[in-house]
Amino acid sequence: MKKQLLNQIIKKKENKDEFAIITNITSGESCIFEKNKPIDKNFEKYLDQIKNYFEKKKNGIIENTDIFVETYIRPIKIIIVGAVHIAQYLVDYAKSLNFEISIIDPRGYFASEQRFPDLKIINKWPEEAFKEIETNSNTALIALTHDPKIDDPALQHALKNKFYYIGALGSKKTHESRCQRLKDAGFSETEINSIHGPVGIKLGGRSAPEIALSIIAQLVAETHKR
Amino acid sequence: MKNSFDEKILEEAKDWITANQKVVIATVIQTWGSSPRQVGSRMIVNEKGDFSGSVSGGCVESAVVRECIGIIKEKKPFKKIEFKVSNESAWEVGLACGGEIAVYLEQIN
Repeated sequence: MKKQLLNQIIKKKENKDEFAIITNITSGESCIFEKNKPIDKNFEKYLDQIKNYFEKKKNGIIENTDIFVETYIRPIKIIIVGAVHIAQYLVDYAKSLNFEISIIDPRGYFASEQRFPDLKIINKWPEEAFKEIETNSNTALIALTHDPKIDDPALQHALKNKFYYIGALGSKKTHESRCQRLKDAGFSETEINSIHGPVGIKLGGRSAPEIALSIIAQLVAETHKR
Repeated sequence: MKNSFDEKILEEAKDWITANQKVVIATVIQTWGSSPRQVGSRMIVNEKGDFSGSVSGGCVESAVVRECIGIIKEKKPFKKIEFKVSNESAWEVGLACGGEIAVYLEQIN
């Protein structure tokens, strides 16, 4: 592989483009495939098969050829509401899993750069903050403030935009009143039940890193279920 | 749902190259049976034999490192190698788990 191609691949990953790396394992040639862009001449005759792998987000050697396809999809976006202690550990776990993370917290003393270096922190109320983030059914929300003023608008946005994972911190009691508020706001039972609350899988721990681990474990499991 | 949990091995390869090291990328391109790592798994190796990432659960990494150093020395741009089930009684390299894998090595140039 040429150094130039490696640099292009990394650039595309940084830009969160969807693409595939195509390699001919007998000739050693490789190139980048992108939907709706012309492909390198040497790979033209495999175009249909490459497209097929790309659509299915598959990796592997195309049957009866020497062409290896590796597909790259956009990383999953996690939005954390509440720049609290648990969030600091969540960020560490989420980074090694290559999630793309944004933190929303209108409280400036929580959402400081010193507490979350090199991270996108939006120091605004959720309604305003979501105007700055593109969200869809590939987005996850973890609400950690257990303050209805901050969590509720974020949860409502996540439900309306069909996030694939919505988790909300809080005891069973806190969650019950949260569900009631969402019901009053007009959300259906199915929608409300899709919220993971109390958030996380049962690990038994109560420290901030343990709670973060239980949340991230649930998030990964739900990511693979899609 | 592939690569959302990407391991950033290519990014590391770029850093090694920037540090003037010769780098070979090893990629799992095919698996048969119960192989420990899925297709697309990667490791990188430099001319000194330092490596990062993995192509198995530690079963064949040492052999991959040797092969990578080999292609750097021979100035070979790429090579495909296969690993089969190991014979437990022999000190040969293989996959103790019983799977088979094919690994594609390519030098960055």
